[in-house]
Amino acid sequence: MAVLKDTIIIKDLAKTFYLKSETKEVLKDINITVKENEFLVLLGPGQCGKTVLLNILAGLDAPTGGEITFVNGRPPMGDLGVVFQRYALFPWKTVMGNVEINQKFKGKSKAERQAAAQKYIELVGLQGFENSLPKQLSGGMQQRVGIARAYASESDIMLLDEPFGALDAQTRYSMEDEILRIWEKDRRTVIFVTNNVEEAIYLGDRIILLGGHPTGVKKEYVPDLPRPRNYTDPAFLKLRNEIVANTDLVL
Amino acid sequence: MDKAKNKKRNLILLSILGLVLFFGTWELLVHVGVISERNLCAPSTAVQTFLYKLTNTKPDGATLFAHFFSSIKLSLAGFVLAVVIGIPLGLFMGYYKGMDSFFTPLFEVVRPIPPIAWIPIVILTLGIGFKAKVFIIFISAFVPCVVNSYLGIKLTDPTLIDVAQTFGASRWQIFRTICIPSSMNMVFTGVRVSLAASWSTLVAAEMLASTKGLGYMIQIGRNLIRPDIIIVGMLTIGLVGALMGWVLSLFEKKVAPWRYK
Amino acid sequence: MNDKVKKLLYGLLSVSSLALFVVVWVVLSHAEGTMLPTPTATFSRFIDIMQNPISKATLPVHIWVSLRRVLIAFLFAVVIGIALGVGLGWSEKFNAFFGPLFEMIRPIPPIAWIPMIIIWFGIGETAKIVIVFIGAFTSIVLNTSAGIRAIDPLLISAGKVLGANRRQLLVDVAMPATIPAILAGIRTALSSGWMCVVAAEMIAARQGVGFLIVRGQEIGDTALIVVCMLAIGIVSALLSLFLTKMEGVLCPWQFSKTQ
Repeated sequence: MAVLKDTIIIKDLAKTFYLKSETKEVLKDINITVKENEFLVLLGPGQCGKTVLLNILAGLDAPTGGEITFVNGRPPMGDLGVVFQRYALFPWKTVMGNVEINQKFKGKSKAERQAAAQKYIELVGLQGFENSLPKQLSGGMQQRVGIARAYASESDIMLLDEPFGALDAQTRYSMEDEILRIWEKDRRTVIFVTNNVEEAIYLGDRIILLGGHPTGVKKEYVPDLPRPRNYTDPAFLKLRNEIVANTDLVL
Repeated sequence: MDKAKNKKRNLILLSILGLVLFFGTWELLVHVGVISERNLCAPSTAVQTFLYKLTNTKPDGATLFAHFFSSIKLSLAGFVLAVVIGIPLGLFMGYYKGMDSFFTPLFEVVRPIPPIAWIPIVILTLGIGFKAKVFIIFISAFVPCVVNSYLGIKLTDPTLIDVAQTFGASRWQIFRTICIPSSMNMVFTGVRVSLAASWSTLVAAEMLASTKGLGYMIQIGRNLIRPDIIIVGMLTIGLVGALMGWVLSLFEKKVAPWRYK
Repeated sequence: MNDKVKKLLYGLLSVSSLALFVVVWVVLSHAEGTMLPTPTATFSRFIDIMQNPISKATLPVHIWVSLRRVLIAFLFAVVIGIALGVGLGWSEKFNAFFGPLFEMIRPIPPIAWIPMIIIWFGIGETAKIVIVFIGAFTSIVLNTSAGIRAIDPLLISAGKVLGANRRQLLVDVAMPATIPAILAGIRTALSSGWMCVVAAEMIAARQGVGFLIVRGQEIGDTALIVVCMLAIGIVSALLSLFLTKMEGVLCPWQFSKTQ
């Protein structure tokens, strides 16, 4: 395997919230280097600040310390693909309307943006549902729309914030395969946030385990397992136990 | 943080600026004569009239306080009656299918008629006294109380009812311990709407047929072309309405603290 | 089987309640010295007013006169109300400047404006339209601004990461997300506007259902009053039905039931 280029360098990142009565340190000393076109998983227990980290990466929030360097320069708003846990689809827009909106905001012509949107709708396997409203779709299909919408940004970097967290187990497994299929077909740098250890091992080229108070990087794992991975593979289970032993329990 | 504080201060200044500009322009326009005093009094005149009306009965027959007292008595009587009858009725209608089938058709006949449209028939059958007005206010406050209490029960989370059933609760126990508490949110919304409706209906009733009250006062103001009397009356009506809403929210905070974080 | 019997029983209860209503009405209206008209007298009064005009108008014309006032005022209230509501909900500065003024005027019931409006505009068409406007305007402003403030912040975040500028965020994200709240405001506004027109016409008018009902009171024609009450109620129910249909059309993602 060729040596991968760096694409995002997160250095000494910290985030503290100043509330009325208290100051809350959420993130501290986060150092992560993201490689080009890798599938990076950020694994951490619930409420540990993963979403805060992702919001900072997405440009929705500013860090209170440290810095994030995008090797090719910070992309402007709208040039990063973001997938949200609760889908965040626009309920009044059809599937097509949702997927094309990024390019609409950018002022692309109708023909151009719809052609692009069509491509990504087909990529996630939703052809035939272009004119459906989100509420007419199942949870898994809604999240496919979310993924297509993020892909339509044509960004090299995709941020996924627990994208399958709201789905039932069955759908979740098939969506995990789906995201790998999409990623292999249309390679981009993926930063995938999850609180699910199996999901992390199943998907990740690299897994960054987050934890501690305030949250920092605990450890990095590189699953040396060929894809498609098998949940019952002894090596898979061994790694799983190792990670679980290192994870902070949140009750 | 300093930045947030600064921003807050600026917003408050902006609010003050808005009010000062509004009243300043108004005062100026009347003094310069752009607005005739027959059409609108200056804010300063309104303040004078307000002070005058605190102790004087001219030109509308009673002091401001007497008008206020007459109005509030009527509106509270009708409102309380509506709450006492309307909330239990709505709760029962929501819970017992039989009550629902019996009362809902009746209710649907009465509901769309605005309370004001009751005034003529009530005046002809009950006169223009205390009873007649309380009845009209009762109708206006009754409808929202029933509707919201009814909806509150209907919107009870079925899971909660299932849980209670598996614990062996009787139907009446479920009603009392699950449905009523969970409907309180809607009930209070209803009470709030009722209070506003009873107050505004009262003003209408007093304007149409009365010899006292704030509605009567502004009606006289119109007959005498005294904008200052009307403005003082309107602002008093608005202020009393807002105050009643405020008292209700204090009460709510005591009884249903979960409505406020 | 048991369910069927139950259903029948409940149906019978509904019918019997309406039957009871009519019986009570008949009994009360036949009591000695009562002013209440009998159902038959009310019905024949209805037939009569459909053909023989009062103040140059039959009942449908009076209804139309009132409705027209509501619709014109409503048009203004919707346009101005939404604009102001969006301003109050979207811009902190706009809200700081106009919010306190609006809060000061808001608690005054629209009906209490009638005397002032009559002094300003006389008792013609304009006065009535202005009164209905005031009645409809406040609830549209309130619901719009509350709706804008209550938008799921996630949708705003999504709009931002998708590259919306501030104008696009308002027009393409915030405004559509607020439509259900605006429609709720319009519903309140329509019933309040209808009430205001009746009130305004009762106080001073030459035509309209509010005028007609007061005429009934002046000449002691209780049958006419009851006819008017029912007409006012039916129009108000129809308006609300119309809005329910509109909600399904304007906002299918929220109101249409198809899954």
